[in-house]
Amino acid sequence: MKNICKRQFDIFKATIFATYKQWTAYRSHMAVSVLVGPVFFLVQVFIWSAVYSNRETVSGLTLTQMLTYYGISSVIGYLIYDGSDMDLQNLIRTGGFITFMLRPFSYIYYALCQKIGHRLLALWVEFIPIYFLFLFAFKINLVPANLFWTLLSVFLSFLLVFLTNFCIGITGFWLTKTEGLRRAFQVLRDITAGDLLPLVLFPVFIQKILFFMPFQFITYVPIRVFIGSYELAGISMSIPEIVGLQAIYVVIMFLVYKVLWHIAIKRFTGVGA
Amino acid sequence: MIINVENLKKTFKSYERGNTLREAVASLFVRKTKLVEAVKGISFSIDKGELVGFLGPNGAGKSTTLKILTGILFPTSGNVDIMGYTPWKDRKKYVARIGAVFGQKSQLLWDIPPLDAFNLNKAIYSIPDSEFNKKLNFMVELLEVQNVVKKPTRLLSLGERMKCEFIMAMLHSPEIVFLDEPTIGLDVIAKEKIREFILEMNKQGITFILTTHDLGDIEQLAKRVIVINHGDLIFDNTIEALRNHLGTKKLVSVSTQNPLPKFDVPGVLVKNKLSDYNAELELDVNTMGLNQFIDYINKNSTINDLTLQELPIEEVIKNLYSI
Amino acid sequence: MIDAVKLHLQGIKSALAVRMAYRADFFISIFIMLLVEALVPLVTYLIYKSGASLPGWNMYEALLIQGVFLLSRGISFPFFFGMVWNTILRVQDGTFDLLLIKPRSVLQMLIVTGFDSEDLGKLLGGIILFSVSLANIPFPGLELWLKFFALFLVSLVVMFGFGLILSGFGIVWIGNYRVYEIFFSIANFGMYPANIFSKGVITFITAVLPVAILGFVPASQLLGRPAEGTLITVVSSFVFLFLSFLFWKAMFRRYNSAGG
Repeated sequence: MKNICKRQFDIFKATIFATYKQWTAYRSHMAVSVLVGPVFFLVQVFIWSAVYSNRETVSGLTLTQMLTYYGISSVIGYLIYDGSDMDLQNLIRTGGFITFMLRPFSYIYYALCQKIGHRLLALWVEFIPIYFLFLFAFKINLVPANLFWTLLSVFLSFLLVFLTNFCIGITGFWLTKTEGLRRAFQVLRDITAGDLLPLVLFPVFIQKILFFMPFQFITYVPIRVFIGSYELAGISMSIPEIVGLQAIYVVIMFLVYKVLWHIAIKRFTGVGA
Repeated sequence: MIINVENLKKTFKSYERGNTLREAVASLFVRKTKLVEAVKGISFSIDKGELVGFLGPNGAGKSTTLKILTGILFPTSGNVDIMGYTPWKDRKKYVARIGAVFGQKSQLLWDIPPLDAFNLNKAIYSIPDSEFNKKLNFMVELLEVQNVVKKPTRLLSLGERMKCEFIMAMLHSPEIVFLDEPTIGLDVIAKEKIREFILEMNKQGITFILTTHDLGDIEQLAKRVIVINHGDLIFDNTIEALRNHLGTKKLVSVSTQNPLPKFDVPGVLVKNKLSDYNAELELDVNTMGLNQFIDYINKNSTINDLTLQELPIEEVIKNLYSI
Repeated sequence: MIDAVKLHLQGIKSALAVRMAYRADFFISIFIMLLVEALVPLVTYLIYKSGASLPGWNMYEALLIQGVFLLSRGISFPFFFGMVWNTILRVQDGTFDLLLIKPRSVLQMLIVTGFDSEDLGKLLGGIILFSVSLANIPFPGLELWLKFFALFLVSLVVMFGFGLILSGFGIVWIGNYRVYEIFFSIANFGMYPANIFSKGVITFITAVLPVAILGFVPASQLLGRPAEGTLITVVSSFVFLFLSFLFWKAMFRRYNSAGG
């Protein structure tokens, strides 16, 4: 047992360092995203300032709360950003996936380590500059209500968005041109996660549906945990409760992955590359 | 002279990233540059109708030279005159008169028949209808691909695809055709067909520049070989001269009834002693004539079997590459 | 000129033929493209539905601005903006050089071989959004339509300029798919009424980087409330085009010198 743990840890370390080094070659790409986030946010500031020029609240949120929502969303986005669906699909399309079947480890574990390595670099190239930019230039209150629960929630969101994207990537085993499906899912996810608009702005009956979908746990929930209070579709829950629910959805997504993967590998090894 | 290259030089700026963690982090802020002389002053000229093979190890200046000749890259200094054009300056007018086939990069469109790609080329090169149809039919018949050109490219075998790549490259009647690894990955028969086609087109007066690592291509097609290594032109001569470059050596395989002699005589190099009765040798016939050699062995050993071979071109190339 | 148009048509024919090889996928992907483009208007719709608004603009007026921008993209993307993706892809897999051995300007080849029929979904979306918004505002007279049309053409000019800049990036910045985000983050400013922005920003998006012409300026014209500084925006659009040409040429020259 100890050997298995050590081996997994070695793979973890090696993959993270390799990915980290690999991405330093693309640091200019990351610099782009550092610029892009704040520019998008700036537009939001203007839009909402105009909207709030003749009223105090929109769906119960004040201007400060609204901007804080978008600010936290942007900042958290840099921590959880995920490209595992594209990576997997590229591997399948180019045939490189076979090399992973010949190696004695689990591909999803490797992909997770890759993401951690990538985000580790992003931590100081993207996240820290953005954090300070939002804190001082945009004057967003970036101090979490409860550090422990916030970190836990962000970590769960990190896993959830990884698993969701990974499952979309798995569809690459069936569909030749998955570009369309992937984009459709992204659209669905962006809306239902609360990336574009706080979920409380949707009509109440839609909010009820959104509550049961897994995507709210990717963006909306961590932001609410950060702020310190959770509410959707009229349902209020305590922070520990909603984070617990988040953990349950992570487990559910993991099981979905397991099933999809099993079917996909069977097909892959049956049909050939 | 259809191609004239004078004192061609090309230097690149390259960035060093470093290997240790410290160097890698430092390179995030400041990058060390290094100047690399890829081509150090090459000169040669080629006549109309020649078929010239370009050889050289990868990364030694060969591809850089060819990119300059096709107008894709411009040099640091030197003159290039091809059919009166300077490739990188008169690019559009110049490339209208050349063609190129890349063994590893397809110019056809993957999901649709080659015929559609040909039509796109027709529009690109503004080829008049009658000329287009004449050339197309001629080459399709010559390469026997009547049924192939109407099938989607992805359904074709590599050999069929390469034939279509050739057609595509020559529809606009280029005077010079650049070939980059044209037979890579092809089976024996396909290779032969492609080589026949190239020779046939060459007979009609088209100049070919062939870049390849396939020595079969060189031996069967090239009448003249240019070797570029370390940015210098180190060999420019006929293929016969290439073969004799390492001297007039022959490979001898001999088996005898009685044990072989010691062979510590000038002109003989033992390459592989298989047993006391069997060996492979390299014989320099200038130093020791064939008759002398046979007498030498027969004196003590009585030849059972003797095979004589030209030194494979591979040895010559290896030697040139390692200069 | 006719020759160039013929070449472009041939390129479109080839691209469509490729698409038709996967017929069902074609219609699905256009539909999905429609959905993607519906996001921003959807957010606008939800904001207005919850009772809030952008002062001075009712919902349909706000949607008209976005409809104009979508229409502008619906024409730019299929017909020339594809040069961006085409450049990024080709430089990354080494087939960019194949365009250099054709007797046409590289830019022309990039545009001609860059047609993506999927982007027609943007055109469809633009037509729908534009028509729906138009149906809910007082119908403009002929003079307004003519002025609108002229400004719309200028928006295509700016789109072309952006295409040149992103394509130029694609030549020297290998494999950076996120260049589109640069474009969208800035173009975003053109999707809303300019009066919500600060004076500094307004000056920037009209006189420096004229994204205001992408949606706001033509839409305001059509609504009979021409934007302040329309003329400046038009002039700076052409300056922008000229500068982006220079940029593209410079990047291409770098490629020619460094070999990619």
